[in-house]
Amino acid sequence: MSEQFSRRDFLKLAGLGAATTAVLTGCGPASRYVKREPYMEMPEYTATGQSTYYATTCRECAAGCGLVVRTHQGRAIKTEGNANHPLNLGKTCARGQASLQGLYNPDRVTDPIKAGSPLPMDWDAAIQVVADALKNNKPEEVAFLMGMAPDHLFDLVSDLAKETGMNAPIRFGALGMFEARATLSQAAGNLFGEAGLPYFDVGGAQVVLSFGANFLETWLSPVSYTRGFTGLREAQTKQRGTLVQFEARMSATGGKADEWIPLRPGTEALVALAIGKLAAEIKGGAMPRAFAGVDVLDAASKSGIKLETLEHIAGMFANSAGALAIPGGAALGQSNGLEVAEAVLALNALADNFGKPGGMSISALAPDQTEYHRPASAKEMQDFIQKMAGGKFKVLFVHGVNPFFELPNSLGFHSASKNVAQLISFSTFRDETAREANYVFPDHHGLEAWGYQRVATGAMQPVLSGAQPVVSPFYNTRATADVMIAAAQLAGGSFAQALPYADEVEFLQTKVASLLGEADGSFSAPNPQTFMAYFQQYGGWWRNMDGRVAPSASGALNRSIKGDMAEFAGEGEFFFIPFVSPTLAEAGANKPWLQELPDPTTTVMWNTWLEMNPETAHELHIENDDVVRVVSDAGALELPVYVYPAIRPDTVAMPFGQGHTAYGRYAEGRGVNPNDLLGQHFNEAGDLAFAGMKVKIEKTGKKRPLSRLESIMGVYGEGLGEEH
Amino acid sequence: MIKTFFDWLKQPMGMIAVGIAFLVLFSVAAFGLYQTQQAPEQPIQFPHKTHVAFGIQCLYCHPGASKGPSAGIPTQEKCWACHNQIQKTQTSALLAPLKDAVIGNTPIQWVPVAIVPDFVQFNHRAHIAAGRNCEECHGDLTQMTIYENPQVMNMGWCLNCHVEAAGEDQEKLIKLSDCGTCHY
Repeated sequence: MSEQFSRRDFLKLAGLGAATTAVLTGCGPASRYVKREPYMEMPEYTATGQSTYYATTCRECAAGCGLVVRTHQGRAIKTEGNANHPLNLGKTCARGQASLQGLYNPDRVTDPIKAGSPLPMDWDAAIQVVADALKNNKPEEVAFLMGMAPDHLFDLVSDLAKETGMNAPIRFGALGMFEARATLSQAAGNLFGEAGLPYFDVGGAQVVLSFGANFLETWLSPVSYTRGFTGLREAQTKQRGTLVQFEARMSATGGKADEWIPLRPGTEALVALAIGKLAAEIKGGAMPRAFAGVDVLDAASKSGIKLETLEHIAGMFANSAGALAIPGGAALGQSNGLEVAEAVLALNALADNFGKPGGMSISALAPDQTEYHRPASAKEMQDFIQKMAGGKFKVLFVHGVNPFFELPNSLGFHSASKNVAQLISFSTFRDETAREANYVFPDHHGLEAWGYQRVATGAMQPVLSGAQPVVSPFYNTRATADVMIAAAQLAGGSFAQALPYADEVEFLQTKVASLLGEADGSFSAPNPQTFMAYFQQYGGWWRNMDGRVAPSASGALNRSIKGDMAEFAGEGEFFFIPFVSPTLAEAGANKPWLQELPDPTTTVMWNTWLEMNPETAHELHIENDDVVRVVSDAGALELPVYVYPAIRPDTVAMPFGQGHTAYGRYAEGRGVNPNDLLGQHFNEAGDLAFAGMKVKIEKTGKKRPLSRLESIMGVYGEGLGEEH
Repeated sequence: MIKTFFDWLKQPMGMIAVGIAFLVLFSVAAFGLYQTQQAPEQPIQFPHKTHVAFGIQCLYCHPGASKGPSAGIPTQEKCWACHNQIQKTQTSALLAPLKDAVIGNTPIQWVPVAIVPDFVQFNHRAHIAAGRNCEECHGDLTQMTIYENPQVMNMGWCLNCHVEAAGEDQEKLIKLSDCGTCHY
C-alpha cells in the first residue's frame, strides 16, 4: 500500500462500521432476545416484578446502623438506611452503600479450606476440626479473637467460654485503636467514677470544641454524628452553631469547622486546660482545681496558638449556653492521651452540660446490657500476643477482624501466630488472616446472615439492632454461630450444655425473647414467634426512652489534671499522624466503589499518600508525587507525597486503609499500611500512642503519580513553592 | 486510499456495488425487524391451548398482572403442583425438560415474547384495572401452542387503543397520550 492511511480516514471507516453494526444489531432479534429465570420456589411474600425490602444491620463497621436492603428476584440490589432505626434514621455512609460489593465480591472464600490442600473441605469435616480443637485441648489453650461489634456471636462464644472455662473472647479492631476508645472510657471512669463511652449531643450544642475527634468521617458513629452536625448547623429555629476543630492535620471535620486550629501535636492537654482556665475566669467564682495549675502564656507559646485566639475561643465557650468539648482521635493517641481526654471532659464539667441537650452524657447501654464492654486496647492485645508467642494457646479462632493487617507489625502478631498450633479463620474474604490460617471456614457475608448487634453509642435510646439474611447465601459458606453450635454438640459434655440450640436462629430467638415482657419497647408481642417476626420487620428493638446517663459533675473539676506535653518516640523531625480513611478503613479496600471514591480532603483515589505542607516540601525540594521514604523507630515505608496546605509544616500524615498483601484483586498491592511505622508505645489507658511518634523523611528520587480528582496544579499549585 | 476508493465508487461498477451493498444492508435490517416479531425458541414447547382448555385462568399462572408491572412467569414449583400428579409427566418426551428442571433444581430459561424495550414503562395492573382482558392484547390463547404476539407491539398500536379508550373525554385523552405516561 503506497498511500498513508490517516487517522482521519481510520475514524471515518470506524464510524461507518460502528453505525452499520448498530443498525444491524439494533433491529436484530439479539437485542430483544433475553432469558428469564423464574424462581424455582418463590417465597409467598414476593410478587413477580416487585422488589422485596428487608431490614437488617450494616456490618461494615461496628457502629451498627440499620439498613433496608432492596432485593429483586432474590438478588440484593441497593442498600439504604432504615428510617426507623434510632441510630441513623435512614442515612448511611459510603461504606454502608458499598456493602453490596462485599456480597458480590469475586474474591470471597467459597468453600471451607484447609491450608496446603488443593481441594475444598466439606462442612462435616470442618465441624469435626472445630469440635476436635475444642475437645482435645485444655480450655485455657483455646482463644477466640473477634471484631469490634458486640454482636450475637460474641454472646454465643462468651456463653461457651463461661461454661467450659475457655478464654473469654477478646474483641479488637483498628477503628477502635485509632479512636482510642479505651482512653475515652477510662477518662470517663476517672472523672465520673463509672467507665462508659461518652456521648456528645452535637446537634443540640451551640459551641463545639473538638480536640482531634474526626466525627464526620470515622469517629465512633460517623452517620449519627453527621446527623448531629446538621443539627448544629441548622439555623431556622435557633442560632447556627459553631465548631472549632483542634488538630495538626485538617480532616474533613476540620474542613467543615468554622475555625481550624493547627496546634502543635502533644499540646492538646495544655490547650484544653488553658481554655478551661480562661473560661473559668470569665465565668467568675473560684478557679476549679482542674485548671488551676496551667500557665496560659506557656500553653499558648508551646502549642503555637496566639493568646488572643485562646482568649477568643475561651470567651465563646464561657458565654455560650450550649458549650460542648469533644476529645478523640489522634489527640488521645499520644503518651499523655488520658490527660488530654480528662482535660477535655473537664471542660464539659465547667460548661455544666452533663445530661443536658447539647451536652455530654454516658451512652445508653443496649437493652440487655448491664455495663459497657469495650473492645480490647492495643496494650491488652500486646498481652494477648505475648501469650500466643509463649505457646499458651494451641487453638486461635479469628472472626470479624483481620489482625495480620489491623495490628501494628511491631506488636508481633505475625511471628507469635507461628506458635499457635491451629489458627482457624472464619473470614468471608481471602484476607491476610485467611492466608496465614491453617483452616478457613468461611462465614456468610453480612447480607446473607442472621444476627443482632448492640449499638454502643450514637443513639439516645438503648438499641438492639437486628440482622437477617436479605438473600440466600451464594456460596458454600456457613454461619460461624452454626459451626460453633454444631461443633459444641459434637464435642459433647460441657460444650454441648453451653450451646443447647438446634441452630443460630434458635439461639437468636432465645436471646431476643428475653425482651418479650419489656414494657417500654418500640414494639411488643404476645409470643416469642411474633416478637421475632417484628424484630426482623423493624430491624431491631429499642426502648422508647432516653437511656443516656448524666455523669455526676461533682468530682470532675476537683481533680488536678497534669498539663504535661506528650513525649514523642523516634529520632525524626516530623510529627507523624496516621488517620483512618473514611472510605477504606480496615475492610473497605476490596470494594472498587470505595477505591474510586475520592478522599474528602485530598481527592486521591486507589493509593496511599503522605500529606506534607507546601513550605516543608519547598524546603526539602519535594514536589507532588515525589516518592519519599518515611522512617520511624519501628519501620520504614516508601510512598508519594501529596502537598497539602492544611497541615502544620512540622507534621506529616498518612491514611490507614491500603497496603493489603491479600484481600482480593482490588485491594492487593496497592499503597502502604501506616501500621508498619507504629512502634510499641502506649498511653496510660493502654491505647496505642499512634500519633506519638516522630519520623524522618528521606528523598528517593523516584516519582509515582497519584490518581486524584482535582488537577495537580489546581487550586493550590500557584505560588506554593513549585517551579513554574 | 479513501480518495481512490470514492473515485472507484463513481464508476458504473462502483454504483452497482453501492446498490448491492445498500440492498444487502436493507434486507438484513428488514430480516432483523421481521425476527423481532417472531416467537423465539423456547426450552419447553408449552401448549397454552391445552392449559386454557382445562379451564385454568390466566391469572393463576401469571398473578403479577393484577398486582404490578410484570405478569411473571410461574415458578416450576407451581408447574409441579399439578404435573406431579399427572402420569404423563413421567413418560412424555415433551415434558422431560420440566421433570429434569424440577429434579435437578435448576431454573427453566424461558424467553419472554411480549416484551417492550427498557425505555417503555409498561404496567399490567393499570390495564387490568381499566377492564381490559388478557386476550385483547395477547390474542386468543385457546388456539396457541407456544405464545406468539398477535400483532406488532409498537407505539402506534399502544396509542390507537389509548386514543380509543379516551373517547370524547379531553382530560383523559391528555393523560393517556402524554409521553410521560409510558416514558418516564
